[in-house]
Amino acid sequence: MAVAFDNEELEELLRRCAEQDESALQALYTRVAPQLLAILMRILASRAAAEDALQDVFIRVWQQAGQFDRIKGRAVAWMIAIARNRAIDMQRAVRPTVLLDAAELSGAEQLQVAGPAEGVEFGAVQAALRRCLGLLAAAQRQCLLLAYQQGLTQDRIATAIGQPLGTVKSWVRRGLESLKTCLES
Amino acid sequence: MNYDRPDLADRIAADYVVGLLRHHGRARFERLAAASPVLRQARLRWEDRLAPLSLQLAPVTPSASVWPQIRRQIAAPADTTSNRLIARGRAGRRWWPAAVAAGLIAALIVVGRLTIWSEPTWQPVAVLAQANTAPQWRVERSADSAQINIRALAPVTLSATQSYELWVLPVGTGHPVSLGLLPRQGRLARRLNAAQRELLLAAMQVAVSVEPRGGSPTGLPTGPVVIVASIARST
Repeated sequence: MAVAFDNEELEELLRRCAEQDESALQALYTRVAPQLLAILMRILASRAAAEDALQDVFIRVWQQAGQFDRIKGRAVAWMIAIARNRAIDMQRAVRPTVLLDAAELSGAEQLQVAGPAEGVEFGAVQAALRRCLGLLAAAQRQCLLLAYQQGLTQDRIATAIGQPLGTVKSWVRRGLESLKTCLES
Repeated sequence: MNYDRPDLADRIAADYVVGLLRHHGRARFERLAAASPVLRQARLRWEDRLAPLSLQLAPVTPSASVWPQIRRQIAAPADTTSNRLIARGRAGRRWWPAAVAAGLIAALIVVGRLTIWSEPTWQPVAVLAQANTAPQWRVERSADSAQINIRALAPVTLSATQSYELWVLPVGTGHPVSLGLLPRQGRLARRLNAAQRELLLAAMQVAVSVEPRGGSPTGLPTGPVVIVASIARST
């Protein structure tokens, strides 16, 4: 399912955070933390590590709210980027060696192919992304989703799906190029 | 490579946003993007393109303890003159051997004896102090090492734009691993994940670095190392 956020409300809360209004950060936390925690848990594969990262993310949001360039509609993407970057950095530092099992691998595919929950409105951006992902070759799509949603490096993807690293790199590169072309068309 | 060329900028930004770059590549991208509007715009475009994928994940309610911890950490006195993240340019530096060589590190070795400070359920890890100063923090771990407990022992003097971050230093090769930020005051309990736990049990030393507020932007220490302390081992 997809979660919808009111970007205008979030932008207003960020503006108040920049003025050191703690109640605005708490409101932001209430609205966004569950989604950010889901993102962090997916990459870090540990609730405890993800909650530690979540703390860091909100402290960073508090600290950087004044720098948020108020491009309309970017509030959620901005916070997602902060969360993903923190999780990826932590994951790279820890260098986990656990390999994904088959269920997790197929889960990456399901995330893309599952339809939106009933009653949830998909915006034009989400719809375009879904459509364009659907046009990719299955292997390209799987590699991109494993990288983006689970934070896997290309070598780990190669190990996980049993393909040579060069092949994975090529799929990822072509997948990104096709995705961009499709989204811009 | 000239990353002001839009095609190259777009490609490297996509790699960064998707998460394909290795640690040093990420740090390098961040340094380059700080100076290149073309790279920054390319990164924003890819973040926007791919963000909907993150919104497909089912939300997970955080534990009740998370918000109070955040609140405690932001409650430190604010420096209203600047809240900018600093030290991006130092990201990714191989820091601690150089710091040792430069003689910038003060070590306080604490072995045994710490039990007099510990509550029965906590075991000593280290007392952290900078050279010629009173101890600033006491670090303890639970008996199963699933948690660490950090107590601020003295007021922390540090700009509001910076944080002290605690690291465990692996024996032999390997990168330091963050154990989180150190509190400016009071007590902070933090759960450790399996990797952190394992490292802490095997390691001989912890270290403290000065980082941008909120912690290292790279996952590795980026600022000066102000303390290295030996880990206490129960006999």
